[in-house]
Amino acid sequence: MIKAKRKPLEELFDLTKGFQRILCVGCGGCTSVCLAGGQRETQMLKTDLSQLFRENGKSAHISVFVIERQCSPEYISDIEDMIKDYGCVISAACGAGVQLLAERYRSKPVFPALNTMFVGLDRSTGLYQERCRTCGDCQLGYTGGICPVTCCSKSLFNGPCGGTNINGSCEVSRETPCAWNEIYERLKMQNRVENILSIHPPMDWTDKGPGTLIQSGYESRYIKK
Amino acid sequence: MNSINTDTAAMNRIADILDKKRDMIKLSLSACVHCSICSESCFKFNSNKKDPTYTPAYKVINSIGRIYKKKGKLSDSEYDKIKILIWDKCVLCMRCYCPLGISIPSLIACARSVCREKGFYRTYDETADGPEI
Ligand code: SF4
Ligand code: SF4
Ligand code: SF4
Repeated sequence: MIKAKRKPLEELFDLTKGFQRILCVGCGGCTSVCLAGGQRETQMLKTDLSQLFRENGKSAHISVFVIERQCSPEYISDIEDMIKDYGCVISAACGAGVQLLAERYRSKPVFPALNTMFVGLDRSTGLYQERCRTCGDCQLGYTGGICPVTCCSKSLFNGPCGGTNINGSCEVSRETPCAWNEIYERLKMQNRVENILSIHPPMDWTDKGPGTLIQSGYESRYIKK
Repeated sequence: MNSINTDTAAMNRIADILDKKRDMIKLSLSACVHCSICSESCFKFNSNKKDPTYTPAYKVINSIGRIYKKKGKLSDSEYDKIKILIWDKCVLCMRCYCPLGISIPSLIACARSVCREKGFYRTYDETADGPEI
């Protein structure tokens, strides 16, 4: 799931200090799960921001509402009536959620409360690790379930680079495991080393426009002939 | 454990939420013919041995249905039960299909909004840590 982290409070104050009425909108999806933008965190944000406003001799009325999923039009209409009473919105969703709110409520400034960090896994409560950069051409089938884009310091598709240390760490740091060493060990264990002996073509990173995904079966609905 | 809101401001906000969604809630509750067709499209129902408490209609009737009928004035233990129903037993994936067009996820989302105002919601650090991997 998407992992995020709250922005420095000073930055949020700087963005919102000109407003008297602020609506803090949490997300009940990914950012709740990673303890950055759920109900409790959004309430904490309200408390902390109100305090900073006071310390700076300002006052603002700050309210909290949590939308179950800010990336879905179905749910973001929940604040339609409310939003009229506020000068701006602080969204504690990922960047996608912030953008959907901003698109839906165009006349209101919508500020991000969080820095969206990565697609990652939950190691433990409050501990997350990046594992996917949504490259659009998943290599895990060849690489023993270890992502070379995310875990290799150089994001190599055909590794290792030659800089692997004798202890299996990466040349950039002895603390960083060499992803390609791990890939090799995993594939060897599964008798699949031949998977990485053939050369994989480089990823086409040139298409940098925002992507659109249409699931198969839905083409006729969205693609005009 | 969540902190429970008993103040009148919270009750007013709940009344406000229910008021805004009144037509949808009333129509949906009266339109449901208990055909159970929605259950087939719910992966939570299918992956939990077809336990009837995972049926989308059951989740709706026993969450927002109860909340609406009692105008949000339910006991804490009732809210606690509703919380399990609408967070643990539904992920709001929006895949449930109702032949009468009832929007089950919207109703469950509404129940969640009420529960949040009441101080009952899922916090994702309340469950025990998973195994080290
Ligand atoms: S808006 Fe972002 S954080 Fe919220 S559910 Fe959607 S993807 Fe996850
Ligand atoms: S190769 Fe890595 S970055 Fe690309 S989709 Fe797979 S896991 Fe994600
Ligand atoms: S939204 Fe909830 S009830 Fe509907 S299919 Fe998904 S889990 Fe089931």
